[in-house]
Amino acid sequence: MRNILGANDDIAAQNRKVFAEHGVIVMNLMGSPGSGKTTLLEQTLARFADKIKIVVIEGDLFTAKDAERIEKSGVDVIQINTAGGCHLDAPMIQKVCASLDLDALDLIIVENVGNLVCPAEFDLGENFKAVVLSITEGDDKPLKYPLIFKESEAVLLNKVDLLPFTNFNLESARNDLTTLHPTIKIFETSCTTGAGLETWCAWLLKKLEAR
Amino acid sequence: MHEATLAENILDIALDAAEKNHATKILKIGLTLGEMTGVEVEALTLSFDVLKKDTPADCAELVVKRVPISAACNKCGKTFRLERYNFFCPECDGILILRSGRELLVEFVDCE
Repeated sequence: MRNILGANDDIAAQNRKVFAEHGVIVMNLMGSPGSGKTTLLEQTLARFADKIKIVVIEGDLFTAKDAERIEKSGVDVIQINTAGGCHLDAPMIQKVCASLDLDALDLIIVENVGNLVCPAEFDLGENFKAVVLSITEGDDKPLKYPLIFKESEAVLLNKVDLLPFTNFNLESARNDLTTLHPTIKIFETSCTTGAGLETWCAWLLKKLEAR
Repeated sequence: MHEATLAENILDIALDAAEKNHATKILKIGLTLGEMTGVEVEALTLSFDVLKKDTPADCAELVVKRVPISAACNKCGKTFRLERYNFFCPECDGILILRSGRELLVEFVDCE
């Protein structure tokens, strides 16, 4: 009997060991295309600017558009193009991390390829996963894509400034998320108004302090 | 869409097993797939059928067994089969911890 993802999981375990040895925390950030992952990152990085040393790894099918946006915030960014691949995997992360001075880093944020299905299956060796779900995607998504929400330690209900213009039922979404994953941490955020961002960043900082 | 990656891995595992057993032809590959994995069996079979051409698995068939989601309470210890994704214990105020449903396994490789 062999694990179909065994080869990936073995390398993920190696990555996890290396990250722990160098005392760097790694977050795997996932979510649909357009959910606001990159904007959330820009806002998060702006709040962390001088406090901690961060590198961002950007997963994208073909372009460097997101990496260029992150670069403007003055944070080092590494681009991985999956050439059509729908997710990042552990060997890709291992390869790019080999060129990093991990001892000098506090946090690596991996922005996965926009997708609610495939990234959830592939362990990268991260400390924790977080998923961004935007209001315009609909409140039914947690139960339609349960795995990604089950695997994530935190979920960001993003673009809450758009709530008045949609039929998104916040209570129902929260209820489904908690039923599926009783200990999941739920943040309500808007990168337009700034709502919830301080709470999110404070939580992230706490994860670093727990090292 | 990660079914293509999974199909590639399944083929690698099967070819490896065949080689170790000095077999030249793979007949059947048994898979165990949990209900809480994002795998479309149809897409998986389609990818596998493309990849297997011109390999010893040319005629191999995928036999899929699905595993239901089950979870055990962290307080009362009882195990439940989950139909909907409700991870609160129906019998006490505990939380259910996933026990099965995340399997992605090659169970057996039949070759000759």
